[in-house]
Amino acid sequence: MLKYTIKRLLGTIPMLILISIVVFSLAKLMPGDSLSGEIDPLNTNPEYIEEMREKLGYNEPLPVQYFNWITGFVQGDFGKSTKYKTDVFDIIMEKVPNTLLLGVISLIITYILAFAMGMYSGRRPYTIGDNAIAGINYIMLAIPSFVAAVVAIYFFSFHLNWFPFGGSVDILIEKGSFEYYISKLHHVLLPALVLGAMGTASYTQFLRNDIIDNSRKDFVRTARAKGTPIRKIYNVHILRNSIIPLVTFLGFDFAALIGGAIITETIFTYPGIGMLFLDSVTSRDYPTLMALTMLLSFLTLAGNLIADLLYGVVDPRIRLD
Amino acid sequence: MKKNKSLLWLFALILVLSAFLAACGGDDSGSSSDDADKKEETETETETETEGTAEGEPQAGGTLVYGIDAPPEGLFSSAFYGIATDAEVIDLYDEPLITYNENLEPIPNVASWETEDNKVFTFTFEEGVKWHNGEELTVNDWVFALETIANKDYDGPRYTNVQTIEGAEAFRNGEADTISGIEVVSDYEIKITFDQARVNNLTNLWVYALPESVMGDVPVAEMSGSEWVRSTPIGIGPFKIENIVAGESVELTKNEDYWNGDVNLDKIVVRVIDNSSVVGALQNGDVDMLSLQPVSGPEVEPLENVEIITYPGLSYYYVGFKLGKFDNDSQSIVEENPKYQDKQLRQAMMYALNRQEWVDAFFFGYANVVNAPVPSSHWNAADNSELNTYEYDPEKAKTLLDEAGYVDQNGDGFREDPNGDEFIVKFSHYATGNPTFESRAQAITQYFEEVGLQSELEMVEVNLYYDMIEKDDPAIETFFGGWGTGADPDPSGLWKADQLWNYPRYNNPEADKLLDDALDIEVVGTDQAKRAELYIEWQKIVNEDLPMLYIAELEEIVALNNRVGGVEYDVSGQNNPAEWFVTE
Repeated sequence: MLKYTIKRLLGTIPMLILISIVVFSLAKLMPGDSLSGEIDPLNTNPEYIEEMREKLGYNEPLPVQYFNWITGFVQGDFGKSTKYKTDVFDIIMEKVPNTLLLGVISLIITYILAFAMGMYSGRRPYTIGDNAIAGINYIMLAIPSFVAAVVAIYFFSFHLNWFPFGGSVDILIEKGSFEYYISKLHHVLLPALVLGAMGTASYTQFLRNDIIDNSRKDFVRTARAKGTPIRKIYNVHILRNSIIPLVTFLGFDFAALIGGAIITETIFTYPGIGMLFLDSVTSRDYPTLMALTMLLSFLTLAGNLIADLLYGVVDPRIRLD
Repeated sequence: MKKNKSLLWLFALILVLSAFLAACGGDDSGSSSDDADKKEETETETETETEGTAEGEPQAGGTLVYGIDAPPEGLFSSAFYGIATDAEVIDLYDEPLITYNENLEPIPNVASWETEDNKVFTFTFEEGVKWHNGEELTVNDWVFALETIANKDYDGPRYTNVQTIEGAEAFRNGEADTISGIEVVSDYEIKITFDQARVNNLTNLWVYALPESVMGDVPVAEMSGSEWVRSTPIGIGPFKIENIVAGESVELTKNEDYWNGDVNLDKIVVRVIDNSSVVGALQNGDVDMLSLQPVSGPEVEPLENVEIITYPGLSYYYVGFKLGKFDNDSQSIVEENPKYQDKQLRQAMMYALNRQEWVDAFFFGYANVVNAPVPSSHWNAADNSELNTYEYDPEKAKTLLDEAGYVDQNGDGFREDPNGDEFIVKFSHYATGNPTFESRAQAITQYFEEVGLQSELEMVEVNLYYDMIEKDDPAIETFFGGWGTGADPDPSGLWKADQLWNYPRYNNPEADKLLDDALDIEVVGTDQAKRAELYIEWQKIVNEDLPMLYIAELEEIVALNNRVGGVEYDVSGQNNPAEWFVTE
């Protein structure tokens, strides 16, 4: 397995180089640059914009610009954000905790809901309950997240007053106190609920199908013949086997955890990576944009690797070498 | 039969879904019908100066929640900020040395000034004004700000406000250690010499200080990323920054040592509120005060606990024509585009626009039609009686087009140009995520089509849009745009033939001469009335020439909770936040 891991890790290097070229070209192909948004006679003049373009190296040939960027990047210097005028690394680190919290909580919500629904559906396939669950799941999947977010805010925040309608924490509470963490949790719950409840479809249906598949297998028949209670068969024997394919999802979730949720974060004014990413695209903040894309690409590759490795761990029949 | 049954199910499902969607959308339509009933009750104040709503005497104490509609970038420093939301926060904790009154004339704040020739100014500072860290504000802090901005490592956009000081250029190029035009007389007195006498030297000058006591050791290149800008900025204003949660909120507390009177509020909390939550947050009292987009106006008006206040803004919208091509190296217009050169054609297109209807439809009454590129509340605005107001008159437009030779020759219902060739007005508008942009642009092309001018609309992604306009891309023929005016009304940077940002490439030496004269101290001296006269003369010319079709000026809209008082607005912006108060 070690050999396999090293092989895979080495394989990601050319992949990352390729991604970096694609990301860079795509970023540069976007019309305008970080200064086209600054055209404002009240604030500045054309000379300043020309000067800044020169200073930021936008007038150099593209290969030179790419080379300048990538040499800094591999040395850990992500550059200075053109929008926030400070190190990209600092900005990303500022947002990561929020996004991680949101990601983890919403994933937990997804897991709980999907497990409950998937196990119910798998045990009673083709009943009304199963169909209703499938229907709800697909409707949730189909509702755009901004609609769900706005409706949730309207209902839970403004109507029932259960949750705050935006932000990640109440600024008036002293930092580091117990109330502070409660307030963070209180703020993250609603967006996490929206994110988590909307994404249950794939987990639920996978689990359901797998449970149905497994329930027809020989070991289940044997267990039944031996008089093991049905409940135990489902909750222990079948479930354990059915979780295996879900492990693949975990790899993808890994990148999604950091990647954040662009729309949901924006509507809840929850300052995280998703919002930062959208911002960096619209304001052509190349250093931030490229650092984030590289980060997410890397995490996706790493997530896949972890998923493959975990596969081998949970199911020893799968040989990786 | 089985198949039919499943089709039936599908149909039923679609019905259920659409009912669900309709229920979701029902919200909006419900509130807008309310709106009609309550409109008479809610009286929107539109005087030039308007006051906050709470009754009675100012009260001390309390917390006010101030909403902003976009996350701040976190550049909380007068010298470095780039976007309006950062500026809103800065206005709460810092103050300029000189401010403006309701006629946009400079008035002393911390500093008063004297000048005899508009070239050398002597400024005198108030004594005892303290920074939030307890250090006293002196003229050295201002010198520090000016030298920071003139430093070659400075990465903000404000050098244009410093470069007119004598010796600023040499300082920037590293030829001098100080700016020769700045002479410190004492801690409270300073003399500033400009490179030449201009009427607008003072209004153009950078008048914010930077705290040298804390920022003095930071290299200029690192200032914008330093803690004194990002996390613990200080100023001289009525509130101090207590706490910043990046990208979402800022907590400000009362400055007990404020130099200019008592501060009523204990705290101001600034928080970001997404446009989708604005109405709910106002209704629930989660936010006390916030600038509104025109589109939210009709939804907020019916709220009983909120009052809408409008005051004149300084920006205007227009439809520009590309009349030529600009060469950036020679800084001149080198080529003329023949298509829209005919003045009668442009005037006909102006008569064809029903601007009032358009403004009412897309700005909900929060904008006014303008006839010249100067916001009407500015002191140099020409009165409508002196201008052609181009009242909506499609018949007149048609007559003008007939006269100019634009007639339908092949019977397709659209006019051809005088040579008999097909004539299509290509109109471009920028596209962002905002869905109303396309419909408002479409409406403009429809006005043109109604008088027989075939029109085509192209929506262009906003970043690309201004790039194309600036480079005179041939794909742009007529375009929608907006500009703002500063405290000084000089529009040279947007109108003279040698300016890159003169997007229509308008080239009229007579008009340029008037703009030059209005700045020339030899011609106008220090007489504002004389200056205004020249600008009015200029407006008459551009009102006649129409290198762009002036559409509307926007009003600034603020929503205020009824418990807030002491807030006033005029064209120069809000009053001193020290005077704001809340009643419980």
